Amino acid sequence: MGLLFWCSFMKTNMAEPALEVLCWGGDWGLPSVQTDSLIVLSYGKFADAKIAVKSVDWTWRTITASVPQLHFEGTTRINADFELTAKQGADTMAYIALLEEKLRPALLHSFWVDPENYANLTRPWFTSHSPFPLNFFVPGRQASLALSRILLTKAESPLLNITEVEGKIYSEAKECLNLLSHRLGNFPFFFGNSPTSLDAFVFGHIAPLLKAPLPSAQLQKHLNQLENLCQFCNSILKNYFIDSMAERRNDCKFSILSSFLFSVSAFLLGSPTAPHDSVDANLQKLTQLVNKESNLIEKMDDNLRSSPQHRPHSHKNSALA
Amino acid sequence: MSLAAEAFVSQIAAAEPWPENATLYQPLKEDQILLSDSASSLAVQTFLRMCGLPVEVSCRANAEYMSPSGKVPFIHVGNQVVSELGPIVQFTKAKGHALSDGLDDVQRAEMKAYMELVNNMLLTAELYIQWCDDSTSAEISRPRYSSPYSWPLNHVLAYQKQWEVRRKMNAIGWSGKSLEQVYEDVSQCCQALSQRLGTQPFFFNKQPTELDALVFGHLFTILTTQLTNDELAEKVKSYTNLLSFCHRIEQTYFKEPEREGQSSRHSKGALP
Repeated sequence: MGLLFWCSFMKTNMAEPALEVLCWGGDWGLPSVQTDSLIVLSYGKFADAKIAVKSVDWTWRTITASVPQLHFEGTTRINADFELTAKQGADTMAYIALLEEKLRPALLHSFWVDPENYANLTRPWFTSHSPFPLNFFVPGRQASLALSRILLTKAESPLLNITEVEGKIYSEAKECLNLLSHRLGNFPFFFGNSPTSLDAFVFGHIAPLLKAPLPSAQLQKHLNQLENLCQFCNSILKNYFIDSMAERRNDCKFSILSSFLFSVSAFLLGSPTAPHDSVDANLQKLTQLVNKESNLIEKMDDNLRSSPQHRPHSHKNSALA
Repeated sequence: MSLAAEAFVSQIAAAEPWPENATLYQPLKEDQILLSDSASSLAVQTFLRMCGLPVEVSCRANAEYMSPSGKVPFIHVGNQVVSELGPIVQFTKAKGHALSDGLDDVQRAEMKAYMELVNNMLLTAELYIQWCDDSTSAEISRPRYSSPYSWPLNHVLAYQKQWEVRRKMNAIGWSGKSLEQVYEDVSQCCQALSQRLGTQPFFFNKQPTELDALVFGHLFTILTTQLTNDELAEKVKSYTNLLSFCHRIEQTYFKEPEREGQSSRHSKGALP
């Protein structure tokens, strides 16, 4: 929540790229793999701020700094919330509190505490993105911070064991995702047709869960059933993060949307197209309809799910180990 | 409670109607209870009154230890013991009394979000002010918390509780905040609540819900409790619609002559 007020209290003229964000790098089709970094990046995009993103991967800042960090010169103001009414602003605060309280513990658990996910995905990724010798203890430290946060806030006296708390936090997280899905309904964003800080927060929490190739992923499966939230994430990625997606071409995995983006950015930048011509027709239709009426989006989604290209990520970790 | 145990309790709860001798346990009102516990207890009492369910309030020095989850208040109904507002709401729902049935899904999502906002901001701020602010902790919280016990147990328990709360604040990132920032957060939270309430009688127009009970519990307690300074109460007082909301609920649900839930030496008694 501090991030939210931080962002809105800076004053600027928006033309200068006077802002620098330090955050964890990206993977799996996302500009950053860490929730807070994603929130800041997407908020910056929504507010049309010129932000220079610097990755802290492979630097010593992974241990000394708590990312994300914002550096700015002069005075800068970013505000994506111009058009919100007072009541919508209040709703934003309430939903952010809901996310932090109900969804964040389960996300922390999925990524940092669950043994299979931690050993096969999270620790290798963070280890490979930290310089020697930090790679030995940065992931471990994050994991123990996550565990202590979960236990201290969620485990009450009869539930001192993490396994008993698991059931509770996952059921709360699923309920929270359902609530968000109800609230979003068929709209493109939470408050009308333009994105706001709440959209940034929801995107930051949900996107890693949606995109990361987690080996043991009950929460991810639940999220995949909530089509409007998946649409929401994918449309934000498509509309606001196209440039950074093109840079991470080599790391981008098998999502159809990303291969469509290859062809779009290739067309614009003149580099060789990705060899996915056979799905271009489907993809172009899909992305056009994302901007149209919601019932058409749902229909196309059904078609897409039956097409053979739409498979969950069978991600190989060898590049990261 | 584990999920299976919860489902089991709900089934048992549904079997019997609400008895006459339901009891709510909280720490001693005059000497021991602190701001955050008093707020939670008042919220539960308000909720039960809104549902029209009779409950007797019983003050015990060891209420915190009797509670199944370690948090107060808890209610003893029939042969079940349920603590904290969330599970109590579910329990009463299983017995057939619910305040939020008339809400649709989007409204229910909003209600839950606002309840989390109150818990996240107001309750955490109350805990911070009580235990992480040195002057309040030394003058009010530690003496009150340990008042039923003799030396040296009173020191041990008070410091242990303080250490636990500070650890929790650390884990959620509040230990880096200054007192001013916490007051500012409370103000933001009250502003959000005030904007949501607007000019309506309750948060979801005509009918009170558990959100109204929770907000009333916290705001009333903040307004009527004497701390080392009045700044917290001043922050709340600046929102007039919240003040009139508290008056209204107090008049509607707590208008007995003794006003047993409200006055104590720790509290100033009446709303300003």
